[in-house]
Amino acid sequence: MTRKEKKKLTRILATGAIFAALLMMRRTAAFDALPRAVQFVLFLIPYLIIGYDVIAKAGRNIRNGNVFDENFLMMIATFGAFAIGEYAEAVAVMLFYQTGELFQDYAVGKSRASIAEMMNIVPEYANLEKDGNLSQVDPEDVRPGDIIVIRAGERVPLDGTVLAGESFLDTAALTGESVPRRVRPGDDVISGCINGANVLRVEVKKPYEDSTVARILELVENAGSRKARVENFITRFARYYTPVVTFFAIGLAVIPPLVLGGGWSVFAAWLKRACIFLIVSCPCALVISVPLGFFGGIGSASRIGVLVKGSNFLEAVSQVRTVVFDKTGTVTKGQFRVREIVPEKGAGCGEEELLRLAAEAEAFSNHPAAAAIREAAEAGVPETGTAGIGASKTGAPEFGTPKFAAEDVREIAGQGICAGAGGHTLWLGNRKLMEAQNIQYTPCAEAGTIVYIAKDRTYLGHIRIDDEIKETAADAVAAMKRAGVSRTVMLTGDTEKTAQRIASAAGIDEVHAELLPGDKVARVEKLLAEKAQGDKLAFVGDGINDAPVLTRADVGIAMGSLGSDAAIEAADIVLMDDDLNKIASVIRIGRKTMRIVKENIVFALGVKGIVLVLGALGAANMWEAVFADVGVAVLAVLNSMRALRAD
Amino acid sequence: MKKKFKVDVDCANCAAKMETAIAKLEGVNEVSMNFMTQKLTIDADDERFDEIMQSAIACCKKVDADSTIYLS
Repeated sequence: MTRKEKKKLTRILATGAIFAALLMMRRTAAFDALPRAVQFVLFLIPYLIIGYDVIAKAGRNIRNGNVFDENFLMMIATFGAFAIGEYAEAVAVMLFYQTGELFQDYAVGKSRASIAEMMNIVPEYANLEKDGNLSQVDPEDVRPGDIIVIRAGERVPLDGTVLAGESFLDTAALTGESVPRRVRPGDDVISGCINGANVLRVEVKKPYEDSTVARILELVENAGSRKARVENFITRFARYYTPVVTFFAIGLAVIPPLVLGGGWSVFAAWLKRACIFLIVSCPCALVISVPLGFFGGIGSASRIGVLVKGSNFLEAVSQVRTVVFDKTGTVTKGQFRVREIVPEKGAGCGEEELLRLAAEAEAFSNHPAAAAIREAAEAGVPETGTAGIGASKTGAPEFGTPKFAAEDVREIAGQGICAGAGGHTLWLGNRKLMEAQNIQYTPCAEAGTIVYIAKDRTYLGHIRIDDEIKETAADAVAAMKRAGVSRTVMLTGDTEKTAQRIASAAGIDEVHAELLPGDKVARVEKLLAEKAQGDKLAFVGDGINDAPVLTRADVGIAMGSLGSDAAIEAADIVLMDDDLNKIASVIRIGRKTMRIVKENIVFALGVKGIVLVLGALGAANMWEAVFADVGVAVLAVLNSMRALRAD
Repeated sequence: MKKKFKVDVDCANCAAKMETAIAKLEGVNEVSMNFMTQKLTIDADDERFDEIMQSAIACCKKVDADSTIYLS
């Protein structure tokens, strides 16, 4: 509790004690005998203790031309109560109002603190190494290329690559994943993680403002500006609600006494009803609890390592019925490994040779299969230092083509690549490429990605590369279905056979295989057109090459994107690690948040509506009105705080 | 130029009103007042930024006299 809150609590307790004493005294005959003026003054004492700041604030705001301010409404309502002789009610209204405010401040402060704690990933300093000396500097002053040293227990201040040292990184603050990540020289480290064991020397790759930490903080802070439909509705509603109710209150106080006639007592009765209207006219319950609910939802998602870019996306994800997956890196691990190298018999090219040829040609490709081939070549073929792919040690015929430069290599979309230099051409790709080039080849029926390799017109053999399905995929898809997803679709550029195998293992209903990159957008648009109105479609990808699809889907979910700028940019929801289970979790968080928000809206408007009607009919008293204002606000805030708790 | 300021605002409704008022100021391109994080983000014309900030403070004081914007 802050000092401000403690002071308020003291005032509430003091007023409560005096007020209780007065209420007791009022039951005695002696009190009745007192003149009205004395009774008034007696009640005025607790009233002023509890309400002086409200009145002062109301006065200041009126001077500034702000009439429909809650302080003003409270002041008028309580003045009205005094005017009609309901002294006890006047004090009670103010007392309850302040108690409610205290509760509200406390609840908001509490949730603010837990969100701040969640976002406590900001590095305070970096150990900059310069000319062999270490100095502690602000991470913002470190430039890419600088060397920093991270000791055990320190937070990684900037994104970079490990130069020396082996350690474990605790990524829990970023990903919600409790198993530490192992890093070695050459690995990338991400700001915000905590270095677990040993000293690391790291070369900084990005300036602080582009680092993972800075981007995450910016995302979370800006999440509030992308408002959900309900939120916009509440904002608009609040703008009209208060003035409308206030005018009704004035009407209630003035018109019936004028029409019905009668003296002061009639006016007093209607004035009381008007006061009830004024008390109920504050939209605070909604204005605070609805954004708080969304904030809590976004906060609890970020606690499990899921960044939601705005409440509108949390709203959308709660309505997701169709989930479209990209295959590689999403359903599968995205770690392609060379499983088999099969040189064509009689082509005179050995395994090693074939792999090396392929690696040379794929040197510039960012396709996962290319990376696998390069990796295998590096691991399998020792560096000889000889340039060119012709340096055969096996005595096989000369396949000599000089090392390729980037401009020698041409990508053929959906087929593969062709690399030409020194009068020769190498073709690497799928069946379609072989067929398009009219090359005689031996088809391979095994599962996986098959890269067929030919030089000029001669088929040399194939390399089989396979990717593994994620262990969590089947569970995750089942969990999504339990969370209300009715249609799951997988899109891939891979062959029908591989795709079917993966999809059935994961429990995905539908497969569209052999798609070109451009086809994915068209396919998603078709799926978007097919879904029922009000339902939403989510696309899940790893952010590599699928930015257009991520943007096109109702909800674009990028996964495994720690440090991938393009994905964070294009996606609406970012999974910090690559755990598919988190999709079902975020759907559940979205649902829960929406349920809480709707409960609050229905509850607050319902209670206020009932009290307004009863008040107009003269059947509600001021106590009920106060409950409809602050009581409802407190309950709504408490309800919203549930959104903060992960289930 | 885009800048962030820490603010002290007690009620969500006030924060929303302040945001609307600041958005209407001349030279302000974008503004967001985040009640939960207590942060004001203003994107406004470079040359007149200080002047705009003064008007923004005045706007906030008008909505709620108890509010504070921390300029540093």
